[in-house]
Amino acid sequence: MTRASVRGSGARAAAQVRPERPFARFRWTVTVVLLALLAWSTWSVDATWGRLLQAPGRAVGFVGTLVETASLEPLGVALEAMWESIAIAWIATLLGAALSFPLVFLAAANLTRSRVRQPVRQVLNVFRAIPEIVLAIALIPFLGLGPVTGAVAMGISSIGTLGKLSAEIVESIDDGPLQAVEASGGGRLERLRWAVLPQAMPEIAAFWLYRFEINIRVSAVLGVIGIGGIGGFIAQAVERNVFERIGLGLLVVILATMLVDAISSRLRRRLIEGPSPAAQARRERASTGGGPTGDDAA
Amino acid sequence: MSGEASVDRERGRTEPAGRQVRPRKPPPQPFTILGLAGLVAFTLVTAWDWALGIGFDPLALPGELADSNPAMVEGLFNVTDADWRAQYVELLRTHFTDPDSPWPLSLDSRIGGGLVETVQIAVLATIVGAALSLPLAVLNARLGAPDRVTHAVVKALNNVNRAIPDVIWAALFVVLVGVGALPGILALTMFTIGVVVKLTSDVVDGIDRGPIEAARAAGASHAAAMRTALVPQILPAYASFSLYAFELNLRGAAVLGFVGAGGIGQAMSYYWSQLDFEAVSVIVFVYLVLVVVVEQVSISIRRRLG
Repeated sequence: MTRASVRGSGARAAAQVRPERPFARFRWTVTVVLLALLAWSTWSVDATWGRLLQAPGRAVGFVGTLVETASLEPLGVALEAMWESIAIAWIATLLGAALSFPLVFLAAANLTRSRVRQPVRQVLNVFRAIPEIVLAIALIPFLGLGPVTGAVAMGISSIGTLGKLSAEIVESIDDGPLQAVEASGGGRLERLRWAVLPQAMPEIAAFWLYRFEINIRVSAVLGVIGIGGIGGFIAQAVERNVFERIGLGLLVVILATMLVDAISSRLRRRLIEGPSPAAQARRERASTGGGPTGDDAA
Repeated sequence: MSGEASVDRERGRTEPAGRQVRPRKPPPQPFTILGLAGLVAFTLVTAWDWALGIGFDPLALPGELADSNPAMVEGLFNVTDADWRAQYVELLRTHFTDPDSPWPLSLDSRIGGGLVETVQIAVLATIVGAALSLPLAVLNARLGAPDRVTHAVVKALNNVNRAIPDVIWAALFVVLVGVGALPGILALTMFTIGVVVKLTSDVVDGIDRGPIEAARAAGASHAAAMRTALVPQILPAYASFSLYAFELNLRGAAVLGFVGAGGIGQAMSYYWSQLDFEAVSVIVFVYLVLVVVVEQVSISIRRRLG
């Protein structure tokens, strides 16, 4: 850098004006490690890469069969299975939200001393680390194999992410209201009610909804171990070559997931950004003295 | 919460002046009322034990948890029993040691091999998927797409891709390329693309437009402007999301074996069907250790990328 700038000042060739690029050791290490990993995996994995070449041909045939056998006859069963996946995901989200909520405030740096906060954070990390399928298997001896097992397993494994990210939301709130409540003699609970919740709740609720979108996908995944729902429906259809069920099942899962995503993301936007200016203006015209409110999510 | 609220209201009553100064609380928004009613109704419908619900009863849950299947509990986690512990250690040893191999820890055994395969699937799917994701992420953002049609097509395709869960992809690829690690790699590649493209293109929407305008003003083509002015800005976030996808893939790879797409799940579902719960427990334990270790490494690298 210094060498380049000294030389550059001597009005020499234009190329010298540009500072030398520093040697990016971190970038090189990453690249080398990645390439090594890639090479090791490609060579050692038992993947029979040659079959990749057959895939396009088979895919055409497969799609052709799906179109030929297309039938609306299993629609009722497929919709029922999809609804079950959605129900599992919803219960799991509520469970995760309810279980993580008290931990959120204990894990937030602006509300809790580090002596309490650090252990709570560790607990959240443990929940985050355990994959859903491990929890589901661990719960089967107690709850059997069914939708409730899936909901409880996913609910417990949601605690980690929900708790951690909600705590980060709480940490990002404006300090002013907290100080105001404290100055007027508010205790711990009053601070939560009047300073923390009004600021953080919309975003936390939006995050719960986002987790619901993720949980719909997870519940489809857990379907293959037998908790029910659309995942098991499609996996079984593939195993038994019931093409009309595969095609319809895929169609249902794609459309339903996209629909839920669309509704959920609109709700999330409304929660975080508040009512649209047009709706707000209409309301203000209708009522005599209403200001903007922040308690939509409470 | 309602306790504090009522106390506060009482305070207001003893000080009439304060009551007048305070502006009237506006009535709840229709969104709040409808939203809450919808939430309650949806919850009741999904939780009730009937045709449209899963029969989730939070009050009965502790009872159900206490009333367990003793054989399975004993097999899965009877840590207090010394015999069980001895057997568990023995299982860990036998499942990781090949009698023909001089190494104390053989990766050719059913569990060891499954674990290695899981890592390989996750590594390949992440690298291939992430490599494909960078250009797709640029196209998936309005700022990065050369025209509206490309943007709309890429976005629609990725939304469809994201709506298909990874095991379903795996089951489909099993049909297309047969059982083994290959369908698992392909399935998680699709999953990686879904995650990384979505997250990265959200970052593209929020970047500084200055450098792109500068590149355009200097006469760069669209592709050149993207490469020199946009990609460098999103690279750290993209790398971080790719590592995050690797963590997700390692978790996802466990379930693929249940549909015949390789990895540790294959061993898991094999022993599960044999009702050999101790072996299942060993697999779950070892796999959990792997996931935690990889996550710690990944988190420390991601912090470095910051």
